[in-house]
Amino acid sequence: MSRRRELIRYLGARMALVPLMLWLIASLVFLLLRVAPGDPIDALLGPRAPEAARIALRHQLGLDRPLINQYGSFLGDLVQGNLGISQHSQEPVRAIIGASLPASVELGMVALLLAAVLGLAVGLSGIARPEGRLDLAGRLFGISTYALPPFWAAMVVQLVFAVGLGWLPVGGRFPPTLLEPQGSGFFLFDSLRAGNWAQLQGTLRHLVLPASTLALLLSGIFTNALRLNLRRALDSDYVEAARSRGLSERRVVLRHALPNALLPVLTITGITVASLIGGALLIEVTYSWPGIAARLQEAIAQRDYPLVQGIVVVVAALVVLVTVAVDLLVALLDPRIRF
Amino acid sequence: MALSPLTPLTLPLARLPRLRSRLVGLATLRRWAAAMALMALPALLAGCQPARPSGLLIIASSSRIDSLDPTQASRSGIMQTLSALGDPLYVIAADGTITPRLATALPQLSADGLRARIPLRQGVSFHDGTRFDAAAMAFSLQRFMAIGTLSYQLTDRVRAVRVSGPYAIELELLRPFSPLPRLLSSIFLTPVSPRAYRNHARSPLNDRFVGTGPYQLSFFSRQQQRLTPYPHYWGAKPANSGLALVSLSNSTALYGALRSGEVDVLLSGNLEIDHQQALHREAEAGRLRETVGPALEISLLSLLTDQPPLQNPSLRRAVALSLDRATISQRVSLGLRPPLQELVPPSLPGSDPKAWPAYNPTEARRLFRQAGYCQGRRLELPVTFRSDVPTDRLFALTWQSQVRRDLAPCLALAVSGMESTTAYSQLDKGSLTMLLYDWAGDYPDAENFLTPLLGCSASRGQRCLKGNSVASGSFWSEPGLEAQLQDSSIQTGPAREALLRTIQRRAAAATPYIPLWLTRPVAWSRRQVSPLRFDGSGRVVFGELHLEGQP
Repeated sequence: MSRRRELIRYLGARMALVPLMLWLIASLVFLLLRVAPGDPIDALLGPRAPEAARIALRHQLGLDRPLINQYGSFLGDLVQGNLGISQHSQEPVRAIIGASLPASVELGMVALLLAAVLGLAVGLSGIARPEGRLDLAGRLFGISTYALPPFWAAMVVQLVFAVGLGWLPVGGRFPPTLLEPQGSGFFLFDSLRAGNWAQLQGTLRHLVLPASTLALLLSGIFTNALRLNLRRALDSDYVEAARSRGLSERRVVLRHALPNALLPVLTITGITVASLIGGALLIEVTYSWPGIAARLQEAIAQRDYPLVQGIVVVVAALVVLVTVAVDLLVALLDPRIRF
Repeated sequence: MALSPLTPLTLPLARLPRLRSRLVGLATLRRWAAAMALMALPALLAGCQPARPSGLLIIASSSRIDSLDPTQASRSGIMQTLSALGDPLYVIAADGTITPRLATALPQLSADGLRARIPLRQGVSFHDGTRFDAAAMAFSLQRFMAIGTLSYQLTDRVRAVRVSGPYAIELELLRPFSPLPRLLSSIFLTPVSPRAYRNHARSPLNDRFVGTGPYQLSFFSRQQQRLTPYPHYWGAKPANSGLALVSLSNSTALYGALRSGEVDVLLSGNLEIDHQQALHREAEAGRLRETVGPALEISLLSLLTDQPPLQNPSLRRAVALSLDRATISQRVSLGLRPPLQELVPPSLPGSDPKAWPAYNPTEARRLFRQAGYCQGRRLELPVTFRSDVPTDRLFALTWQSQVRRDLAPCLALAVSGMESTTAYSQLDKGSLTMLLYDWAGDYPDAENFLTPLLGCSASRGQRCLKGNSVASGSFWSEPGLEAQLQDSSIQTGPAREALLRTIQRRAAAATPYIPLWLTRPVAWSRRQVSPLRFDGSGRVVFGELHLEGQP
């Protein structure tokens, strides 16, 4: 079978599993939310609202229906792409996710880019002199940034650069004195498309601290991964062969060892992207970033069942898609991979 | 030669010293360049702060606003924003007096007290130009009764709303209700334009608000709202050229935003005690302004009265006597939360500041001994606090220590945390012996504090079987108490105040709750901002704020 056919078959098999995975995740979330203590009516009305008002609201939200009926409606709507209505704000869940997800994706992408640049630069810097000061410093950097508690790191960065020095805003996504860029929800893109320098500046100012903090915390993963794989690559036969052909060490490292060392890093990037979509919670909370993770946290606290279910399903779908995309990319780049 | 795991790598590199030094040089250069760029970027961006429109004030709080529809309003942050965008029928001043706002006089009651006629102001328009009249007011109230989150506040008291003239409405009441003007001062009853809400008569309109207030909404997102003065406002025009309301999700960010001058005004909301104290000191030093509003939020402990061990009223009283509020308030809130010995905030009519007994360990010890404790037998009492409220945890631990210090042979507190939504859902199940929580009435009246805690629609002896007392976790009632509560909603003036005090005394004697402290709304502002003022509903009057030196 040709490689192209293999690839298409592999892609088909992976995509065929997506609905099954989403059904499992959706069912699990549905069940766990109902099993977990706490009542959406309490979250909405407070614990001391009159019983009649509680019954009326429970009926209005459909929470008095048998669980199996609720589950059936949920799955039926999900199949049609309808994520339901938020119990708390009465807004369509899809609209809420549409408003929050771009903020998280934008933050995640910028942070990932910064983390990759910083992590790879630090990882690369020590390779010339293994066990030297730079290499040790790089290793220390890798371990310590990975081990830093995100909440603490974010708080310290916020206190120093925003509160203490006053260089950058303490939180939020956009200056309150300007009108938000309109369009896709990706403020960098929207302000660039509109050619509005003030909006771009405002977006960047608000992005610097959360993105840098997140990048710092993620960069250690890249540093360690690159160090490890580059060393392994430099130790391989093909690198030795390249050297024996008289190629310069720089060329050996950059043209032969590095591309091979970067392949596992690409896989790690994929996993990091997937975890970033829903995992930047502490950064979002610390910097008041109106992203999907912070929204999920609020929805859980409010026991807003449709919103929690919707966010989890959408994030799970994105994680699955990103993982598949990265697998395919790695397969395309590395001809040794078989399916 | 001993080989390390890195030997295969180090050997070839060691053979190439010149290249190695070149690589090191390149790496060093790259590192310095990256460091310079990283340091330059924030500095560059810091120098590019966006210009602020003249007269615009930035106000920060922790409130995220999902919906600006009054029917969905139930939290203080939303109420604060709505108070700038809309007008209620009546307003309560800081001294407690009620004055008509969109109404022109207090409700005119029929002889049987079951019909209230409310004359309305003329010459008022909604932000979309629609005329405000009786039909608009009736539309808004009926809409609230149909879809309001707090609709029970009206539907429990009002049977119907009718238009009784072009500028007068009539409320048909289910029973006489003397705090009606106070209820109608609630900002969630603010009128909305029937034209703008035509397609939302039975569904909320979240991201718009078309009311009659001094400001109109020019931008809405969950995290930010922009308000601009409404040029055709019927009353006093706002003293500023607009407001930008921002939400910051944590205390450090809120505190830092004011300290760094990023915002002009900070509303306390969920500010941590340490930050409140730091801002208080800044205000004392004259670097900030601080204004305290009327306290309308109480914290209390509910006691499960229908099960041992707190079935015994003497034990409940002994527990109440063992609480050293003054010390705990000082330790936990640094004195920012005044101790409270009643269920009604002191600023409201019917308050009885000494209804509950003060700290008295001697008397507590006597009562514990009388109940068979202290002599080799100690009462182990579980206390639950809301784990997502930092102050609650501090309170529980401090009280535990205080009891260990003062009453160790008689009483031991076993403290444990529980997430608040979970704790609330457990209250009416009778599974929490003692729980600390807050209560803030939806409108400022004693009835709105006593009925939600003591109301009981079905009881047997001193055990409440159904009603608010069950939902509040005490399960306590007494014969005649419900009738007194009902009567307190009918009586007026000094007779009503006396009755409210009697109810509190009865509750204090049985101790189904232990009031702990008051939470006062506090706002801070930069010195350049004019002094802040709270109204009697605990909200800052935004329209009066302006940057000093600017007209």
